[in-house]
Order: sequence, then C-alpha cells, then structure tokens
Amino acid sequence: MKNYALLLLLFAAFSFSTCKDESDPVTAKDNFTLTFRATYDGEQLEKYKNYTFGDKVILFDKFNTFLSDITLVGASGEVKLADIEWVNFTPDLTPNDKSVEVSFKYSVPDGNYTGIKLGYGVKSDLNAKNPSDFPSDHPLYVESEYWSGWKSYIFTKVQGEVDLNGDNVTETNLFYHCGSDPVYQVATTNGAIAVAGTGALVVEFDLKKLFTFDGQLLDLTVTTNQTTSHDASNIALGQKVMSNFKNATVLK
Amino acid sequence: MNTISTTPGRKTIGAIFVMASILVLAQCKKDDPDPPVSLVCDLRDVPYSPTAYAIKKPDNFPQIPIPADNPMTLEGVQLGRRLFYDPILSGDSTMSCSSCHLPAGSFTDNKAVSIGIDGIAGRRSAMSLLNIAYVNTRLFWDGRVKTLEEQALKPVEDPIEMHTSWETVIGRLKNHPDYPQWFRKAFGINSCQEITKELAAKAIAQFERILISSGTSRYDQFVRGEIDLEDNELRGKLMFFDEGAQVGLPDGQCFHCHGSITLTGNNFFNNGLDSVGSLADFIDKGLGAVTGNPSDNGKFRAPTLRNIALSAPYMHDGRLKTLEEVMVQYNDNGFGIINEDPFVQQIGFPVQGHYPGLTPLQTADIIAFLHTLTDTSFVNNPDFQNPFQ
Repeated sequence: MKNYALLLLLFAAFSFSTCKDESDPVTAKDNFTLTFRATYDGEQLEKYKNYTFGDKVILFDKFNTFLSDITLVGASGEVKLADIEWVNFTPDLTPNDKSVEVSFKYSVPDGNYTGIKLGYGVKSDLNAKNPSDFPSDHPLYVESEYWSGWKSYIFTKVQGEVDLNGDNVTETNLFYHCGSDPVYQVATTNGAIAVAGTGALVVEFDLKKLFTFDGQLLDLTVTTNQTTSHDASNIALGQKVMSNFKNATVLK
Repeated sequence: MNTISTTPGRKTIGAIFVMASILVLAQCKKDDPDPPVSLVCDLRDVPYSPTAYAIKKPDNFPQIPIPADNPMTLEGVQLGRRLFYDPILSGDSTMSCSSCHLPAGSFTDNKAVSIGIDGIAGRRSAMSLLNIAYVNTRLFWDGRVKTLEEQALKPVEDPIEMHTSWETVIGRLKNHPDYPQWFRKAFGINSCQEITKELAAKAIAQFERILISSGTSRYDQFVRGEIDLEDNELRGKLMFFDEGAQVGLPDGQCFHCHGSITLTGNNFFNNGLDSVGSLADFIDKGLGAVTGNPSDNGKFRAPTLRNIALSAPYMHDGRLKTLEEVMVQYNDNGFGIINEDPFVQQIGFPVQGHYPGLTPLQTADIIAFLHTLTDTSFVNNPDFQNPFQ
C-alpha cells in the first residue's frame, strides 16, 4: 500500500512538473523578432543605384556579413540570441534591386533591455572550422563565403563600383572582403528594447557611415583602400572597416 | 450431362470476361495513352523494405542536404539510375537524361548546346551533374527551379528536349513489366496506378545526389597533403585562389565565383562574356528572365570547375571550346557592363590602374592547375554507369 502511495506521489510530482514546464511561458517561443536592414545615408540600400560619395558616385552590388554572439544586454543581465548568423542583404533571385531585410526569431524573456551586443564577423572558435563542419541549414555552411586559402570565412563582403568623375561611367571597383581572426570586432549599441510578451528590434547597417572615418569619407581612389583584406598586408584595412561597423550600426 | 449442363455457364463466363476486359481496357485507355502491356497492377505481394542509402563523399566535403520528403534509399537510387538511363522518358524513346549527361563528360554531353529528339538544338550547354547535390541556390544555368526534384520534371516535356508528356511516360511506366515493382520497392506504392511523375522525379533526384566527387583528383590528394603539385600547377593554384601576392604572382580572381571545396558557390554572375549597349540587350537574359529584374540580365550560375578538363565546351552556350579560349576571354577583363562581376575586371597585375590579364605563362599555369581537378574515378565509378549495359 505504501508502495502504491509512493508511486502515486511520484506520478503526481512528475505530472505537476511536466505541466509547469508547459504552462509557465516566461519565455514564449520565438517571441522576439530581430531584423537587419542595409542603408546608405539613411535610405534603404539599392543595388546598382548611384549614391553620392563626396565628389564621386558609388554603387553597390553586394553586401553581406556574419554576426557572432548576438546578445541583448540589460541591467539584469544578458540574453544571447544566437552564436552566429549570416545576413545577406543582396541575395540572388530578388525581383528588383532593393536590398532585402533579414529577420530572425528568438525566444527572449520579458524585460527592458538597454542595447544589443554584436560580434562583427565570425568569432575565432567558429572561424577555425569550415563549411564541411556544418549541416546544410547552418549559417556557416555557405561555401561562397569561405576562403580556403586563408582558412577563414569572409566576415563582411561589400562590393561595388565607383564613378570617379561623375561621367556616369564607373572607372574602378571596390571590394571590402574582410576576414581572418584579427579583424573580428565586438561592440554594443545602446537603445531601449522592451520585451513584454513579444518584442522587436530593427538594426540598420549604413554603408556610408561604414566608409566614414573621423568625419571623412574613405578615399576610394587610393589603391590600398580598394582591395580585399584577406592577406597580411591588408589586415589593417580590414580592422579599420570592421571596427567602424559600430559607428555604422543604428537601432530603430 | 456434364457437357450439356456446362455449356450455358461457359457462355456466361465468356461474356463476363469479355465485358470485364472491355471495362478494364477502357479504364486503362482513359488513364494511359499507350496500350497496356501488363495489367498486373496490384503490387502488394512485392516486398517493400527500403534500405537507407548513405552517400559516399570525401571527408572534407560538406554534408549533403537531403530533403525530408525524399530520403535516400538504395531502392530509390536504383530506380532513379534506371530512369536516368532509360529512353522511355522521351517522345520517341530514343533519348534519356544520360543522352545529355554522360559520365565520360562528367555528366555533360561535350556539345556546345544539346540536341533534342527532333534534331532541334537547344540554346544552352548541358551542365555537369558532378556534386549537383550541393546546389542549394537554384538549378539550371538561369536558376529557374529550386530543387532537383523540380528540375527532373522539366526536360521530359520540353519540346526541344525529350518532347513528350509525363502522362505518356507514366502510362509507359505503369505498363512496363518491371517498373511497377521497382516503384513499389522504392516508394511502397500498392498499385501501378500510384506511379506518378513526382515519384519518378524523386527517384531521379536520388540518383543524381550520389554523383559526388571521389576525392581522388590530384588536387584532392594535394589538399590532404598526400602529394605535391608540380611547380606550374602550384603557381596556378596560388593565382586561382589569389594566394600568390607574397611570391610575386598576380590574382587570377577565379575563386570568388569558383571557390571552396566544391569549386563553386553556385551563385549567379555576369562573367563578362558579352558587350551590350544596355542590360536589355542581352540575347540570353539568363537569371534576369527568371527574376524579371533587368540587373540580373546576362547572369548565369557559376558551374563547378571540378572535372572542367572533361566537360568542354564552356560557358552557358558552349561558345568557348577549350580552357585556353576561356582564359583568353577572362584575360580580356570583361566589358565594364554595370552588372558585370567586378572581379572579372581585375585579373592580373594592374598597370596604371588597368588590368591586362595574366601573361601566357601565368595562363598556362592556371590551366595546369585546372587539370589537377580531373577526377577519373568519378567518371568511371561503376555505380554511376548505365545499368542497362
């Protein structure tokens, strides 16, 4: 009889604990929407569109970036949303040249958060791997964003052309293909983020701000400012651009 | 006595048989365009116990994405292989998938453009199926379909390819002496009437997914540290992957479109083949015809360069016959069309802001490297060959 009572008690306890898990939605599943948007001078980025860049005209055809350890920060602590995401603003197969908004859903507890911390690029432990190490639905499976020669992911890819003299003919190209561990940067952007049942945040990356240093636009006519940063000679340029992501990040 | 008493019964049975036959034939005729050969349609006596199929791949290759609604089975692969090589899929039963995708050509037909059953030339070259399972963007040169299953449906009804209808093909398969039981073994159908074009496409896709590199090319052996490349091959490799700056070699810029282990990111590019006045002037608009976006005109999917020496001629329309011609094309650095990939315009060492391409020696080195990508074990793999021979 005692055994039966004990079993009944255990069963009740088990049932109660099970019910508690299901009926205690402190964190509703995927209740928080994080959207990334690409802009140029505050306007939604558009491929092949002429943008004024100082006394030159610039146009873009690619912009994508990896983000590591995406984390909401607040007075009561941090909530990590993702280890890694790949945000491609200019995918193939879109009906027009407008850049796309890229959204992710996460589970976030209710609270008032004060900002978002982003790792710009691929953090070193993940960058030590390659696409073969990941399942096909993983952000780091993308083969086109991996440099086998440097054993690194391309953290950020900004690509386009420049019309140097405003004659509607592009004279030179620009490539900011930044990668390798030394260029990885982490920064927190502050802003009020409220989650009450649900929540949402839009994060913009502005390409004009990305190329603005100390109030000055990067001189894209200088050869060393146009090249990719995948070898040792261009690490400094990669660090310069990647560290400027913080200044190019705007919360909406 | 017995004779007298049985005569009316035979007539009745005969009449019933005739009527039943007419009914069955009429029913079959309604469903199947071709006259029925076999009416053994109940397949429930055929064992259905599919065996999971693990695709062989080199260890350093990525995992192969398999759609949840088409798991790999030995029976599915075997059925797909038969369908792939069987001319039953074409209007006059003269052409199979393999007519344009032959193993010896790394599953191309080595023609500039493929010729259909009516002798009509298509407008594009047959793409290699090597490592096709890794294509997670879009298929065909212009990206008009999303999946291998969807792709497999298209050539049958293309009037300049196999030029028939799936209704006709399915009718043939239902009445074939063997296909119904093969479909049963692959997909567990209970009746030949359950054979559909979707199941046929799933089987073909399963076979195509096993067409993975063997990992025995000279390049693969080099990557694993098993062999050294010849000096010219190594120089070519360094330029191919833009790794040669520190040893005085220019960037070939190849890997931007043909990078990583499968040597393609399967993305779409205008690689500078045509000089046009405006984006609307591309004769073959490629991706642009699919998306409707003029900026995509003249863009095509970058193919894998593995086995590239076996899959001539080159480009979406087969306009370039040799690798040497390909290199001449790229050394010209494109035409500066607005949607041209900028890397096409920056091959070689810059001279006063302009890129003259690679020198003849550097070009030869790149070609030598491309030959290290040849994978004869792949093209000779017995599992990939015609099962009817």
